Amino acid sequence: MLQFPAWKVLLVLVVLAWGVVMALPNAVNMSGAPDWVPKKSVNLGLDLRGGVYLEMEIRPQDVIGGRLDVFARDVRSALMERTDTQAPVLHLAEVSGRTMTITLTRADASGNFPVDDAIARIEKVNGPLEGGLAGGKTFDVARAGPDRIAVTVPANSENLMVTDALAKTETIVRRRIDPDGVAEISITRSGSNRLILEAPGEPDPQRLKDLLSRDGRMTFNIVDDSASSIAAAQAGVVKPGFRLVSGPTTEPLLIRSIPEIVGSDIASASQGNDEANRPQINFRLNSNGARKFFETTRANTNKRFAIVLDDSVMSAPNINEPIPGGNVRITGDFTMEEAQDLAAIISAGEMPAKVQFLDQRVVSSTLGEDSIRSGYLAAIVGLSLVGTFMILAYGAQGVFAVASLAMNIVLIFASLTLLNATLTLPGIAGIILTIGMAVDANVLVFERIREEQRNGRSIWTAVQAGYERALITILDSNITTLFAAGILYALGSGPVKGFAVTLALGIITSVFTAFIFTRMLTVFWMKIAKPKRFAV
Amino acid sequence: MLIKYWPAKTNIPFMRYRYVGVALSILMIIGSFVLLATRGLNLGVDFAGGSVIELTESETVTVSEVRSKIGNGLTVNSATDTDGTRRIVIRFGDLDESLLGPEFAALSPEEKVERASSESNTFVVNEIKSTFNLTDQDILRNDSVGPKVSGELFREGMIALGVATIMMLLYIAFRYSWSYAIGGVAALAHDAIGTMGLFSLLQIEFDLTTVAALLTIIGYSINDSVVVFDRIRKVRRKYKQMPSNEVIDIATNETLSRTFLTAGTTLIAILAITIFGGPVLQGMSIAMIWGIFIGTYSSIFFASAIVMALGTDIRRPGVPDDTPGFQGAS
Repeated sequence: MLQFPAWKVLLVLVVLAWGVVMALPNAVNMSGAPDWVPKKSVNLGLDLRGGVYLEMEIRPQDVIGGRLDVFARDVRSALMERTDTQAPVLHLAEVSGRTMTITLTRADASGNFPVDDAIARIEKVNGPLEGGLAGGKTFDVARAGPDRIAVTVPANSENLMVTDALAKTETIVRRRIDPDGVAEISITRSGSNRLILEAPGEPDPQRLKDLLSRDGRMTFNIVDDSASSIAAAQAGVVKPGFRLVSGPTTEPLLIRSIPEIVGSDIASASQGNDEANRPQINFRLNSNGARKFFETTRANTNKRFAIVLDDSVMSAPNINEPIPGGNVRITGDFTMEEAQDLAAIISAGEMPAKVQFLDQRVVSSTLGEDSIRSGYLAAIVGLSLVGTFMILAYGAQGVFAVASLAMNIVLIFASLTLLNATLTLPGIAGIILTIGMAVDANVLVFERIREEQRNGRSIWTAVQAGYERALITILDSNITTLFAAGILYALGSGPVKGFAVTLALGIITSVFTAFIFTRMLTVFWMKIAKPKRFAV
Repeated sequence: MLIKYWPAKTNIPFMRYRYVGVALSILMIIGSFVLLATRGLNLGVDFAGGSVIELTESETVTVSEVRSKIGNGLTVNSATDTDGTRRIVIRFGDLDESLLGPEFAALSPEEKVERASSESNTFVVNEIKSTFNLTDQDILRNDSVGPKVSGELFREGMIALGVATIMMLLYIAFRYSWSYAIGGVAALAHDAIGTMGLFSLLQIEFDLTTVAALLTIIGYSINDSVVVFDRIRKVRRKYKQMPSNEVIDIATNETLSRTFLTAGTTLIAILAITIFGGPVLQGMSIAMIWGIFIGTYSSIFFASAIVMALGTDIRRPGVPDDTPGFQGAS
């Protein structure tokens, strides 16, 4: 216990030196230091630096409903297609919850509905699910009555669809909030259908929520401007194949239900300025979109083209001439920020399912700075009081304990940096608490040494026995606390996780500093100062 | 000259008074359960759902102004930060549907339940911003927790407590024996229940950081109990024929100095958090201060009394009395 061969001393010193080098950037600005010096400081949690934390989820039924909606279009073209041998199957398709019900509307001469024919046609467009079992179909298609077909999603495909949708949502969330990929935001998946967004420095949760709550379904639809159709629609009779939509700056418009251009035709969108230097949104269509756009504008000259985002008309310019090239713009009464946000929403694409916000936490940067200051103050006060207490109780031994306590804090910061962990306000509390608890190991040893001395042992044997006998107690008591910290880490979230990390690191480093570093200092002191007894 | 915080040798017959201790503990546990059942816990937004918004108090923005101008069933209080600045703390649950606009009214009932808290938050924030002419930077804190997450957080917190307890039970049973494991775990349950009772009595907000504090208390309490157990085991090995109450008394007295020194240093550190750590950490540190007292008390009276009732014998089949190298030289 009291032998410290050179390699052991060296090892301890290397660990301590490593700790100092790693922890230094937290205390000193290292920008002027040479390249090989680590400059990374500990990540601060949102509660310390200010920012927005949002937890959101997509609901499985929404994901499945969305997939069924898309499939409804395929079903429609499959059933309505006229071939040499087959007539179109007239039907109504309705998606409700996790089921699409297709009701056939025309029976043959003998009063039977062509259900089998319809199922065969639907199965042709029912492809395998990406990532699913080989040969498996995406949807279950089954007869549900004499004139009815039910389309459902098999249970084992549900999870795949939700996982896939979550991945897409994650990408879209990132692209909407951070279109240029420069902001320091973190998006993490949680469970099978949740995302946690952390945006440091962002003061306004509402802007983020507005950006994310939109579906981002962008379509270009031809407008029917004939006065009679509009009058009929406003009276409640909407022409089949059309629907009535309104927008913030336009009167209600009658548009074709089936869009000419959809989100997947758009290559990119960005904020630009018009001739009068007002913000506008510029689009570039991909080659497929540009071709469709050119053909549509050629066939519909002198009609209006409505640009619709999430069932709201953004603008409905007149088509004066066929437009080639695929560059389109939306002008309107936008502020710069609105134009930027809309461009981000449009280029990010359509959300697979609506995002629901579950949990929001916002801390301003002023409050964060306050918290750092008070945490720092509490740590300094706690450390100096505990230090004074120990030195008063144990003299020279107390000084060694305080030295190892200081090293303990250095090592906690070094390991936090190494593990890329996040320091939160409860995390600072965890460090302060370890200050109090770290001395426990020293107290256990010192009390044991005193006891051995009282039993008449010489200083060397007393120190030897004190360290030996206290070791198992220290390990037992710290391992149990480590359990608590481990479980906090596994089950806790956000700030509590931060607390668990510092508590756990503090326990591990304190065993090292209190048991090895203090012992080494004590041994050197005994060799140099040759004390007869420990002060009791 | 060194200060002696505690006499080196004491001889307090703890086990003679164990019935008093156990009676006090049982009274406290019953009292805590009664309080929890009748008064309940003052659940913070983490567990109850709803919103908390904090503003800095100023000439124009004061508690009474916010109360009179925003109203709508909000709870408005003030809090003082360590540097003396005063804050306005606004709490509210779901607002009346009529305030949340036609878009909200059109939602299905289940959507309403899920979105009410978020929409209420938006409504109040906008009200505050427009009434007092504030920007986002003036809002110090704005938390809003929906019903789904708050329920989950509470469940997860309780699971964490349960799992931690079971792990400790198993570890002590493995290192000592079942009677010690039961004693230690009974003591930590005693401390956790007593702390929740205190929170109920004083109606201090119970939130996620409080659960963290509870787990720390559990860790501290078991730490304390293990130190005493360790000593009981040593004394028991030395005096094989000594009655249990004497063994426990010797062990407790021998570790008493360490017990109080460690409790003292930990208490100093936590007091520093309470006084200088700001309002966010106050609930957590109050819980921990109480936890140190109750944890120290329970390891002396409660845990030992149970070990005494169940037996201090730690010999397990197949494990020799003195495992060489394990105990160190004697």
